[in-house]
Amino acid sequence: MRTRASRAAVALGAGLLTTALILTGCTPGASKPSATTVTQAEIDKAMNTPTNLTFWTWVPKIQDQVDLFEKKYPKIHVKVENVGQGLDHYAKVRTASKAGNGPDVVQLEYQFISSFALSGELADLTPYGAKDIAKDYVPWVWKQGVANGKILAIPQDSGPLGNLYREDILKSAGITEPPKTWDEYKVDAQAVKDKTDSVIGNMAPNQGAGWLGLLWQAGVKPFTYDGKKGVTIHVNSPEAKKVMAYWQDMIQKDLVTTDADFTDEWYAGLNQGKYAGWLTAAWAPVFLSGAAADTSGKWRAAPLPQWDPSKPASGNWGGSADAVLKTSKHQIAAYELAKWINNAHEPALLFATEQHFFPTANSVLEDPKFVGDQPDFYGGQKVNELFAGISKTVDPDWQWLPFMEFAYTNFNETFGAAVAAHGDLGAGLDAWQKALVDYGTKQGFTVNG
Amino acid sequence: MTAQVTIPAAAPRRKPFNRERRRSNLLTVVMWLCVAYFILPLIWLFISATKDNPDLFSTFGLWFGHDFNLFANIRDVFTFQDGIYVRWTLNTVVYAGVSAIGASLLATMSGYAFAKYRFPGDKVLFSITLGAIMIPLTALAIPTYLLFSTVSITNTPLAVILPSLVSPFSVFLMRVYAADAIPDSLVEAARMDGAGEFRIFWQVGIRLLGPGIVTVMLFTLVATWNNYFLPLIMLNSGELYPLTVGLAQQEATSAAGGGAQALFSTVITGSVLSIIPLIVAFLYLQRYWQTGLATGGVKE
Amino acid sequence: MANGITRKQHLAAYAFVLPFFVVFAAMLVAPLAYSGYLSFFADRLIGGVSFVAFENYLRAFQDPGFLAGLGRTALFLVIQVPIMLGLALFFALALDSGRARGSKALRLLIFLPYAVPGVVAVLMWGYLYGQRFGLIAQITRGIGLPAPDLLSDSNVLFSIMNIVTWTYVGYNMIVMYSALKSIPAELYEAAEIDGASQWRLAWSVKIPMIRSAIVLTVIFSVIGTFQIFNEPSLLLELAPTAITQSFTPNFYAYNLAFVNHDINYAAAIAFLLGFVIMIVSYVVQLSTQRRERLS
Repeated sequence: MRTRASRAAVALGAGLLTTALILTGCTPGASKPSATTVTQAEIDKAMNTPTNLTFWTWVPKIQDQVDLFEKKYPKIHVKVENVGQGLDHYAKVRTASKAGNGPDVVQLEYQFISSFALSGELADLTPYGAKDIAKDYVPWVWKQGVANGKILAIPQDSGPLGNLYREDILKSAGITEPPKTWDEYKVDAQAVKDKTDSVIGNMAPNQGAGWLGLLWQAGVKPFTYDGKKGVTIHVNSPEAKKVMAYWQDMIQKDLVTTDADFTDEWYAGLNQGKYAGWLTAAWAPVFLSGAAADTSGKWRAAPLPQWDPSKPASGNWGGSADAVLKTSKHQIAAYELAKWINNAHEPALLFATEQHFFPTANSVLEDPKFVGDQPDFYGGQKVNELFAGISKTVDPDWQWLPFMEFAYTNFNETFGAAVAAHGDLGAGLDAWQKALVDYGTKQGFTVNG
Repeated sequence: MTAQVTIPAAAPRRKPFNRERRRSNLLTVVMWLCVAYFILPLIWLFISATKDNPDLFSTFGLWFGHDFNLFANIRDVFTFQDGIYVRWTLNTVVYAGVSAIGASLLATMSGYAFAKYRFPGDKVLFSITLGAIMIPLTALAIPTYLLFSTVSITNTPLAVILPSLVSPFSVFLMRVYAADAIPDSLVEAARMDGAGEFRIFWQVGIRLLGPGIVTVMLFTLVATWNNYFLPLIMLNSGELYPLTVGLAQQEATSAAGGGAQALFSTVITGSVLSIIPLIVAFLYLQRYWQTGLATGGVKE
Repeated sequence: MANGITRKQHLAAYAFVLPFFVVFAAMLVAPLAYSGYLSFFADRLIGGVSFVAFENYLRAFQDPGFLAGLGRTALFLVIQVPIMLGLALFFALALDSGRARGSKALRLLIFLPYAVPGVVAVLMWGYLYGQRFGLIAQITRGIGLPAPDLLSDSNVLFSIMNIVTWTYVGYNMIVMYSALKSIPAELYEAAEIDGASQWRLAWSVKIPMIRSAIVLTVIFSVIGTFQIFNEPSLLLELAPTAITQSFTPNFYAYNLAFVNHDINYAAAIAFLLGFVIMIVSYVVQLSTQRRERLS
C-alpha cells in the first residue's frame, strides 16, 4: 500500500525577508537569551564550518532547491537521496535511525509525524528558532508539524481537496455547472452514467489517505493522540458511517468505479475519458496535466461538493514537511536546510513553479506568480487561486494515529476490500476499527474506542 | 507381439537409429503452441519498448504503435536522472560477478573436499549445508541487516555481496560433480608423485571440474543478478542499486507520479535492456549449464 | 594406511571447507541465531522491549492471517507444483523423443523465461493482466468475451501460480531433459525398434530412470513455494486489496518487520516457516524413498 502524498506539492515561500532579517540581525526566538535557545553566533559558526548533510526525500528535482541552499552556504554540502516511495521510505528511515546511521534531514508526510514523535526520533526545532516562522504558514498546516508543544517539522506542501472534472463529458450529459452538494453529485453521476460512456469518478479501494480526506471534509475526527500513551480511535462512528453509507450507495449503483489508483490501468482510464472527474488534492492539477496530457483543455476545477453549502469545508490529502532526526550530528545546519528551502522565498516559490507543489507558506499563496497562473490544461482557469481559497476551509483540528503505516495497510484489507467487493462499507469500517484497536492495545497504548 | 524392453548385450555395432523419419507433426504443433505461451509475454515486452507512453495505453499489445519510439526510449533510459541506469547496470555486473566468482570458489573447494575426502564430521557438515537450502531468506534478512549495521557496512556493496557468497546448492552440485569427474585413481597417482593436497586440487581437480564450475558460476550469477529482496533492504542510495531494485523503484515513482513523471515506457525499455545480457549469457554457455544440471539431477 | 597421511588429508579437507563454512557461519548461522533470540522478545511502541518466551509462537498459531497464508501456500503446492512439473516432464520427454521439429530452439525458448529477473517478469505480467488495457483483456474482448479480472481477490492466487509456472517450467524441464539425455541410448533403442510407443517407453523406462532428478525438482519446488515473496510484493500495487499483508508467510514476515515494526513476531513467523519447510521436505523425501523401495 502506498500513500500518495505530495505529488506536486508546493513549497512554502514567503518570509524570505523575515528569514534574512533573522539570519543577519536579531537572535532567533526569545529576545532574552535562554539556555536552550541557540544563539546567532552559534548558527553563524555552524553554517561556516564545512559540514556534510544527508537529506532523504522522494521529492523530484529537489536538488534545485538544495543547490540554491548550497550557494548561500558554500561550506555546507548536502547529499540528496531517494530511498523509496511511500512506506518503503519510512521503513528505511526507521531502520536507519534505529541503527544510528540515519540522515540529518528527512521528508515526512504530516500523517506520519506523530509516529516519529512517539518514538522520539525527531529533534525539537524550537531551540533553533522555529517559532519565529510559524506565522508564515497557513495555521492548520503549521499545526500538523507540532506535537506536545514541540515543533517537529517545517511544512513544505499540502493537498486541500477539490473536484477536478471533465467539462466536456459533463456537458454531453447535460450538466453545465459542477455539483455544489453531495446530493447534486449523485444526481449528476446518474446523468453521466446514463448519457455517456464514462463515470463521474473513481473511488480507489487502496487510497486510505483520500478516503480519510473525505471524512475530514465531513467534520469527522476519527483519531486523536495525546502525545504519550493515549489514543482514541473511532473510524466507525455514526458520522463516519453516514458518509460511507452515501458512498456505498454510489458504488452499488455503479455510479462510480472502484479501480485501484496510480496503476497503469488507472492512468489509461484518465487518458481515455473513462473517468469524468477526480475528487482529489491540490497537487493533482499539475500531476494530471502530465499524466493525461492528451486531454488538455478539457478539465476544470471546483470545490468539493458540500454536505452543508452554508459552511464550505474541505479536507486534506497529502503534503509533507521536512524534519531533523535526533541522531543528526549537525542539528543547527540541518535545521537551517529544512527551514531555508521551505521558507526563503526563492526556493519556496520554486516548489510551486517547478515541482508544482501546493504551497503552505502565505507569501507564496499570495504571490501573483502563483495565484495568477492560468494553465491551458484547465482551459485558462485560475486553478491555484481556487485551491488557495479552498485551503482556507480545511478543518484545523485533525490528528493522526502514531501508527498510520499499519492503519493504511490494514485499511486495504478491511475497508478497502469492502469497497472493491462493492459490499457493506459500514462493516468495512467496523473491521478496520477492530484491527486498529487490537493493534493499538497490543502495542501498549491506552485505546479509547 | 508385446513390446518388450530388451537390453542388448554388448552390441558390437549399433545401427544408427534414424530418428529423422519418425517426426510427428502433431507433436511439433503442440510444442510450438506451448512455446507461444512462453514467448508471447516477452514479445509484448519487446514491442512495448518501441512505444511511447500514450501508445502504451491505447494500442494493441502485440503490434506496434503509431511511431517507432525504440531509440527515443533507449535514449530516455540512459539519460534519465543523469544516466543512473548505466550506474545500476555496472552495480549489477559487479555484485553478480564478484558474488559468482566468490561463491564458486568457496563451493568448489568445499564440494571437492566433500567428494574426495573422508574426514570426521563430513556427513554432519554436508547435511547442515543441505538443510540450509531450506531456510527462508526473511528469517535472515533483518538480523543480517542489524548485524551489518553494527559494523557499518549496510548501504555498501559488501552488504549485498557477502550474503551472496553462501550457496549451499552450489556446494551440493560441486560435490556431485567432483565425485563424478575426478577419478580417485588420478588423485592417488598425484599423491604418490609427491604432490601436496592443494597442488592436486589446483592442477588436477580444477581442470576436470571446468564445466561444473561454469555451471555454478552461471547460477550464482543469475541468482545475484536477479536478487531483489536483499539489495532492497540493504541499500539506501540510488547509486548503489542493482537493476532489479532500480527498475522497481522507477516503476513505483512512475506509478506515484510526482510532477508529471510518467515513466512507464522508460521502465519497460529498461527492463528489456536488462534481460538481454542474461539471455546472451545463457545462449552462449548452453553447453555448460545443460551438463551441469544433468549432473545434479541424475546422480544421487 | 599410515595415520600421518590420513591426518594430513583431514587437515587439507578442513582447509578446503573452512572458507565456505566461515562465511556460512557469519551469513547464515549468526543471523539465524539472532533471529531466534529476537523471537523470544516483544517490542511495543509503548513500553519497549520485554522478554515474552514463547508468546510470539503461540500468537502465530492463533493468527488467522498466518494460518490463511499457510493454507494458501498449501493450495499453491498441490495445484501449481504438479502442473508445473507435469508440464516440464512432458516437454522434456517430448524433446528427448526427437519427434518435434526444431527441438533445440524449443528447448531454448521454453527455458528463456528463467533468465528474466523476477522483478521484470512480475512487472510484465502485471501489465498483461490489466483488466481494461492489458493484453489478455484486449484479446478476450477481441473475440467477444468479457475481460477477466485476473487480479481480483479470488483470482490473484491463480494469476501468481501462472507467473511462477511460466518462469520455472523451462528450468525444471532442462533438469529432467539433461537427466534423460544421460540415459544410455541402448536401453530403449531396442524397444523403439521393436515398436514400443513413446508413451510406453516414457512410462516404463525413461521416467523411472530419472526418478532422482524428478525428486530433486519436487523438493526444490516445495522449498521455493514456501518462500514466495517477489510476486505478492510486486503485485501489491496492482491488486492492493487482493494481496493482504499475510498473503504468504514469507511476505508476512517481511511486512511484520518493515511495516508493522514487529521484528520479534516476524522472527517467530520466519522460524515457524522454516520448520514447516523442513517437515514438508522430509515428508516428500520419505514418501519418494518408500515408493522406490516398494517398486
